[in-house]
Amino acid sequence: MEFSHDRSGDTLVVNASGRVDGSNASDFLESLQGMFDPGDQRIILDLGGLEYISSAGLRVLLMAAQNLDKQNKSFSICSLTEAVGDVFRISGFDQIINVFPSVEDAKQG
Amino acid sequence: MQRSLHLSHPPEQGHPSDVLPLIEDILNEMAEAEEWPITLTMRANLILEELVLNTLTHGDTSGLTKIDLELESQDHALTIRLSDDGSPFNPLTDAPAPDVTLPLADRPIGGLGVYLVKTMGEELEYRRENDRNHLKLVVHPE
Repeated sequence: MEFSHDRSGDTLVVNASGRVDGSNASDFLESLQGMFDPGDQRIILDLGGLEYISSAGLRVLLMAAQNLDKQNKSFSICSLTEAVGDVFRISGFDQIINVFPSVEDAKQG
Repeated sequence: MQRSLHLSHPPEQGHPSDVLPLIEDILNEMAEAEEWPITLTMRANLILEELVLNTLTHGDTSGLTKIDLELESQDHALTIRLSDDGSPFNPLTDAPAPDVTLPLADRPIGGLGVYLVKTMGEELEYRRENDRNHLKLVVHPE
């Protein structure tokens, strides 16, 4: 997996690309948590470059979403590819995490 | 098109997830040859990862579980036949179904893998025969 992030005011946009599976899901969680600053109020995860996700990766997203929710921070995901969107829909994740078509939509949402 | 794969993982050698690239490679080869929709490749990969890692990490206590995998695809439908010599496990009945309608705060972290296999897979059949688990399922792009 590859990551980059961009912070503007209290909004953090994280780009994660590649594959997340049972071999690297724990690295994914560590990388994500390492990017969060206490001052971030809104976190947007851009998964436009994510090619593959299994339940191991979904677990990480769920943990991140629950942690941020407990801290009353906003968390959303955007730019899902067709294949990842299919997994989100079947797992019901699109019902519990805010999903937007693009980063711009997520910023306005 | 048919492909088969034989997987085993001695517990002293790295992590069971080391077998995942083998699954990815064989699916990519089939997907390219038969121009699979991207959702079929994704679903097939996810299902195989869940089943194989489940078997290699929970299926056996003696150390070495052997998995035989047969893949057969036709008209963008993939039939998966998986057999292993691990302890008995019927994914149709032996795993509790998570409640996917629960709100975020109440969602349990685990239990999703087998649920996704059962939801994305069709015509699931399980039998225990000659001390082996045999599972068959069919995957479609949608």
